[in-house]
Amino acid sequence: MTLSLFDQFSSPSFLGIPMILMALALPWLLIPTPTSRWLSNRVVSLQGWFIARFTNQLFLPLNVGGHKWAPLLASLMMFLLTLNMLGLMPYIFTPTTQLSLNLGLAVPLWLATVLIGMRNQPTHALGHFLPEGTPTTLIPILIIIETISLFIRPLALGVRLTANLTAGHLLIHLISSAVFVLMPMMPAVAILTAVLLLLLTMLEVAVAMIQAYVFILLLSLYLQENV
Amino acid sequence: MGLRLLIFACCYLKLMTFSFYIPANALKSKGPIGAGLVQASHSLHTSSKSLAPVPALPEKGGQVRHGIIPEELFQLLYPKTGVTGPYMLGTGLLCYLLSKEIYIINHETLSAASIGAVVIYAIKKFGPSVAAFADKLNEEKVLNAQAVKDVALVGLSQAIEEEKKEQWRAEGRSMLFDAKRNNVAMLLETNFRERIHMVTNEVKKRLDYQIAVQNLNRQMEQEHMVNWVEKSVVGSITPLQEKESIAKCISDLKALARAKASLAV
Repeated sequence: MTLSLFDQFSSPSFLGIPMILMALALPWLLIPTPTSRWLSNRVVSLQGWFIARFTNQLFLPLNVGGHKWAPLLASLMMFLLTLNMLGLMPYIFTPTTQLSLNLGLAVPLWLATVLIGMRNQPTHALGHFLPEGTPTTLIPILIIIETISLFIRPLALGVRLTANLTAGHLLIHLISSAVFVLMPMMPAVAILTAVLLLLLTMLEVAVAMIQAYVFILLLSLYLQENV
Repeated sequence: MGLRLLIFACCYLKLMTFSFYIPANALKSKGPIGAGLVQASHSLHTSSKSLAPVPALPEKGGQVRHGIIPEELFQLLYPKTGVTGPYMLGTGLLCYLLSKEIYIINHETLSAASIGAVVIYAIKKFGPSVAAFADKLNEEKVLNAQAVKDVALVGLSQAIEEEKKEQWRAEGRSMLFDAKRNNVAMLLETNFRERIHMVTNEVKKRLDYQIAVQNLNRQMEQEHMVNWVEKSVVGSITPLQEKESIAKCISDLKALARAKASLAV
């Protein structure tokens, strides 16, 4: 029983073929392609509005050099949002529960921002290691702390997403198992637990959206520091 | 597991569409995922056929019953099984799956129920407003374009009015030209008269000069003659005659004085 709780997070493979590629690629089918029409149907209009609004909002604080990242971050947002939201469905595997995937997204993008900063404006990028107004005695310690903080960032990005989604799915699994087991024995308790499950599901929907947004937001912040 | 097989199968089919051209109509009928396959089969532009004018979108989207079951299924089964056919099919299928333990009720069923409840609630509550918002987006686009068109129309009708005014003005041009012609004629006339006057004055001046010259000539001749006569008269008076005339004058004067003295007494 204990083993099967984490079975849902094992990367699926069928006859030796890793299915995670399908799980990553197939949600693309659900996103409508913008047509060459001037006026299209509701889904395409809403999608266009959402992406435009989101990108505009995200890139307001960035200077023009950072706007090159707009397609990347917008599409990454759609990707993570779709993966997270689809994963809430029953029997659907959520690729973003895999640490490998999240680190694979976080480390290159974070590293890209750091390298851009070091290449284009090394002084300014290194200046982030010492916030303004620190007392002189604290400078050595603070620089070490800031360096550690810098290198923790990709780990934090990846692990945050992984942990949130894994924890959410695990909780849903546990609580629905509890309801399932309690139903024949103590229906009243089972109903209360089912209410809890409902609330948790709503939370998980929110968390799915928020975690995707936070990932992108932090990347845009790192970009803002460095570009 | 079965679902993953299905996903794998449709992915395999999707991969095939990249190498062959499959018409969209054929794909649309490929079961419940046909709509997705249509998008996947955007083929290469092998001919220069233009894509415009774009065919109109259908008035409504695909009709569904109970949110996900397409109406076409009901239409398909209606001739053979009537109105309750699809429901019987659904119920029978469900019972079959459950009794043969092809689908087992476990905790995932409950989590499916809970997420289903959340999704259905969200759609029922926010569906109409989101649809209205999407419609408003499109309407705003149309209104903006319409506003541009209206402004253009107003501008053009104003241009027409102004053009008509210009045409009316052009008709009055001949009057303007007549007036101008009159002005010019008057100017010419005035100028002509001025010059005539000038000529008259000049001629009169020349003639006056001639008269003056003649007058001067005559005057000088007259003076010269008078001087010559005086000179010859004065020259002809001999000294003897002069003494005689002076003695005569003295005797006359004496006589006059005596006459006057006698009168005075």
